[in-house]
Amino acid sequence: MEIRKELNPVRSSSMNEQAVSNKSLSLTKETSNGVKVEVKGLNFFYSGNIHAIKNIALPIYKNTVTALIGPSGCGKTTFLRCLNRMHDLYPGNRYEGEIWMDGKNILASDIDLIRLRSNVGMVFQKPTPFPMSIFDNIAFGLKLNGIKNKGELAARIEKALKDAALWDETKSRLHESAHALSGGQQQRLCIARAIAVEPEVILMDEPCSALDPIATAKIEDLITELKKGYTVVIVTHNMQQAARVSEHTGFFMMGELVEFDTTQKIFTTPSNKMTEDYITGRFG
Amino acid sequence: MSVERIRKMESLAALSLCTFAALFGLFWLVFILGDVLINGIGALNLSLFVNDPAPPGVEGGGLRNAFTGQLIITFFATLIGVPVGILGGTFLAEYARGKNIARLISILSDIMVSVPSIVVGAFVYAMLVKPLGHFSGWAGAVALAVIMIPVVLRTTEDMLTLVPWTLREAAFALGAPYYKVIIQVAYRGAASGILTGILLAIARIVGETAPLLFTSFNNAFFSLKMNEPIASLTVTVFQYAMGPYEIWHKQAWAASFVITIFVLMLTILGRIIIKWKYGKS
Repeated sequence: MEIRKELNPVRSSSMNEQAVSNKSLSLTKETSNGVKVEVKGLNFFYSGNIHAIKNIALPIYKNTVTALIGPSGCGKTTFLRCLNRMHDLYPGNRYEGEIWMDGKNILASDIDLIRLRSNVGMVFQKPTPFPMSIFDNIAFGLKLNGIKNKGELAARIEKALKDAALWDETKSRLHESAHALSGGQQQRLCIARAIAVEPEVILMDEPCSALDPIATAKIEDLITELKKGYTVVIVTHNMQQAARVSEHTGFFMMGELVEFDTTQKIFTTPSNKMTEDYITGRFG
Repeated sequence: MSVERIRKMESLAALSLCTFAALFGLFWLVFILGDVLINGIGALNLSLFVNDPAPPGVEGGGLRNAFTGQLIITFFATLIGVPVGILGGTFLAEYARGKNIARLISILSDIMVSVPSIVVGAFVYAMLVKPLGHFSGWAGAVALAVIMIPVVLRTTEDMLTLVPWTLREAAFALGAPYYKVIIQVAYRGAASGILTGILLAIARIVGETAPLLFTSFNNAFFSLKMNEPIASLTVTVFQYAMGPYEIWHKQAWAASFVITIFVLMLTILGRIIIKWKYGKS
């Protein structure tokens, strides 16, 4: 909290409220699962010194779903992409602060990005099936992890498709192009591809925004199912979705984390006026 | 006159001009193709493909040496030009994406594409033929490869740029190193486009005469030696068309016809591949 004092003085009132909400956070900690990821004083700058993420601190609990909400351009996605260091793909980006995952600071310079990313899977806003067969799409990640044996590949692919609730629809056409699938199926294929390599954390960046309500419902059911084995962080513009699938919710605003708490508290009695205004649809 | 009427007149004038320009261009194209077709088919016969040239002025003989020579030179030019072009295009679209060096190379290749091919011939003459002291098939292949490289390079770059960046991010997010992302994801996404580019580049070099005049020169005898002057269809057409004998003229027509059909086939194949890939969606 010390670092927060350096922040923009105009927003200092909200910072006080932030302190309040963080107090209640420690209460939830005791009753919840262990912490999988601990973010401390995270700042992120895009090339050109654009300060996109400002002093964020939050815990992500194991085997739960954490939802990140907030208006467009508030830094949710930027924050999410810090968790698998996707920003490293582009020159000039810079992190400050710490993100602890299993006792390791993943922002340290000696972190092996390839290992980190096979440990932290990601599902994107638009479905991103590779231009190859359904089978090969999932085999891609498995082969990267050194699985070459055909029998093992087939078994792991079947398991991944079953876990992603896509097996029944695709078992007879595994070797057809993934592009032949519908949008919702493609997104579930991307989830299957992400979980096939058995990551511990799955990042989802508005995974349903390009899908219709039925496909969305299927993905949401899947997310609820997934948290048994994985820790899920989801960015969403859909408030109902955040309320339905998540245990914890963080509300982002102009690169800052305004409030973080249990989803129930955020959606019923938020501590911060801005959170309340956003959730009730008064702005954003 | 009402505004509407003026607009209609303007529209009609523009349409007429465009139509006339299109028909004018098309007329000469059809004229040339038709001429080659009529004169070429008449001169086609089997001995053209299986016999070597007869002594000047003597009836009979064929252009076996030129057909094989052309194929060999084109094959080696493709072997040199395609890998360099693809790797160069990959560098521009992937590793140097958005950097000044990429923009510079891109512009230079665009200029290279429109450099007169005789300049390339003269360049290779100075670099390879003069120092080695003799014309050779290798020099011809290198000259054609130099013409090919910028075409393949720019196509590869454009096609790779068309592959959505999120697809690469998805592969990175699975922990893939960059070279695997390029080979397994980006190349697959761009495969048909790159293949079309290669076909069109081959079609382009098959019709080149000027760069071969200075490099592989010509050979009246059958030869498979890349170290020596080697015959090619285009140079033979040039030589025979200028020659004094009726039989040479006929064979030049036939050779022109074969080249034209070959280029036409490659172009159509390229179109089919593009349609097959992008026509569906």
